Amino acid sequence: MNRHLVTLICITLPVVLLVIAAELIDDRLLTRLATTLCINMILVLGLQIFTGNSGILSFAHIGFMGIGAYTSAVITMPARLKSMALPELYPIMQGVQLDPLVGMAIGGVVAALVAAIVAYPLMRLSDAAAVITSFALLMILHTIMVHWSEVTNGPRTLFGIVEATTLQLAAAAAVVAAIGAYWFKESRVGILLRAVRNDEVAAAAIGAHIPLLRWRAYVLSAFYAGIGGALWAHFITSFSPNAFYLRETFVILGMLVIGGPATVSGAVFGVFSVTAVFEGLRALEKAINAADLFSSTVVGLTEIILALVMLIVLILRPGGIIERNEFGTLARWPFMKKQNSSRGE
Amino acid sequence: MSNRRLRINEVSVEFSGLRALDKVSLTIETGEILGLIGPNGSGKTTLVNAITGQVRPSTGAVCIGDEEITALSPRRIALKGITRSFQQVRLFNDLSVVENVAATSLAKGLSLRAARQTARELLVDFNLSDFGDMAAGALNHGDKRRVEIVRALAGDPSFLLLDEPAAGMNETESDALLATLAELPASRALGILVIDHDMSLIMRLCHRLHVISSGKTIGEGSVETVRSLPAVVEAYLGTSETSP
Repeated sequence: MNRHLVTLICITLPVVLLVIAAELIDDRLLTRLATTLCINMILVLGLQIFTGNSGILSFAHIGFMGIGAYTSAVITMPARLKSMALPELYPIMQGVQLDPLVGMAIGGVVAALVAAIVAYPLMRLSDAAAVITSFALLMILHTIMVHWSEVTNGPRTLFGIVEATTLQLAAAAAVVAAIGAYWFKESRVGILLRAVRNDEVAAAAIGAHIPLLRWRAYVLSAFYAGIGGALWAHFITSFSPNAFYLRETFVILGMLVIGGPATVSGAVFGVFSVTAVFEGLRALEKAINAADLFSSTVVGLTEIILALVMLIVLILRPGGIIERNEFGTLARWPFMKKQNSSRGE
Repeated sequence: MSNRRLRINEVSVEFSGLRALDKVSLTIETGEILGLIGPNGSGKTTLVNAITGQVRPSTGAVCIGDEEITALSPRRIALKGITRSFQQVRLFNDLSVVENVAATSLAKGLSLRAARQTARELLVDFNLSDFGDMAAGALNHGDKRRVEIVRALAGDPSFLLLDEPAAGMNETESDALLATLAELPASRALGILVIDHDMSLIMRLCHRLHVISSGKTIGEGSVETVRSLPAVVEAYLGTSETSP
């Protein structure tokens, strides 16, 4: 077995095991949790594709999730519901009612198209300027979602979205997403983009087209976000624009940063570990309150401890828990052929 | 490669009013090694930066053959066939050595498979094949410098500009580097510009020398000619600057 195969197994197997566990236990709450995890995994992997390979933090990611969610929600909604849920919808779109799977695919494509247009001028920017402009972009996308009543129902909750996302569908998408993210990282564009991340001047001096490389990663990243958003829309079935703003941004960013943005393994590990810690703390909080140990109820334990974990991880390992080596090169696996030198030692 | 020449014509560079280069002209022919020497701060690296587009000349022209490349971006100049190494090594530290070298061919549009193949062959030529799968950041200093040169060569350039390739190397390493570099112009049909403070290396390696001081040309010609020019002796060779 080579390192690529080991890595691919390690980043997809947890999802498969999760689905099997959920099927065996057959608990509604666990199934919902597992589905959310798979959707988050797609979002985190999407962010990894751009931020991990280019080294530029992007805050706008969740905005593209919103585009995918609204696009798919609107074009799949049954006509009779549309008149209620979206009274101001453009007449031309009132009759549109596509299959949810087609809607999700279009949601991803629309998010990618919007990214392709808005991102091109931004891709020349590096460092702080790039981060701040991505934040501005998130605010613009959020403002549009809040005010474009015709398709989003404005700041109010959009309801009546077709329920179509099953755990199996989300898990299958997450597996494909993980393989895709790893493929991108090891592709022509991925290697050159990581070269740019290491040294922009040297990359330009060998002829790398820096804005174009970043742009390609950004468009793919937005496609992931759009698909993730669409899956989420057909899972949760009602939401408002606030779902695609700062809170979700920090959850996704936190998972990536804690896991390790530079590696796909880190992104996957981040999703699973943060979800586990988050849910564990939530159960603990509930148990403490149920046992009536303190005079007042305990609130915010989850958020505080999670924030502390993030601080500790970043102080001890600024590059995240899995900083540089993918699972395939992380350890000397007994079943792998011996190599003279392993990378990154 | 055709028998083109890299021509730098009266190039000046100014940094906020300070003139770092003052109307420097030189030519590099395919198949030759030109040594660019001068005291610290004389503008050698600035000249390389001006050729490769990292710095924009305020006046003057840089041409390959009849084609002017003065105002182009570093990327376009690289794709025109001018690659370089840096005074401070600039490798892609998180990438493997093979990927570092392959990146140059990838940037030119080669497929991943072809780029890796070329990279491995080049690394064998330079006795670096043992390090192929290592992260470039984990190499020792001398090997990093050699990988940087191999990376510059991977794009099959017409002109190679080396900014202090032997800096930080011990005598054995720099002798080995000398032997390798000396063969390149003939075997790969390219012209090389070398900056270095190691005079023994420069004198043995270069076919011609160009001397600048305070941004101005103060001498040029064969090694023997330059060595005997009074201005050069005074500005450079006669002082303690000969030691790195």
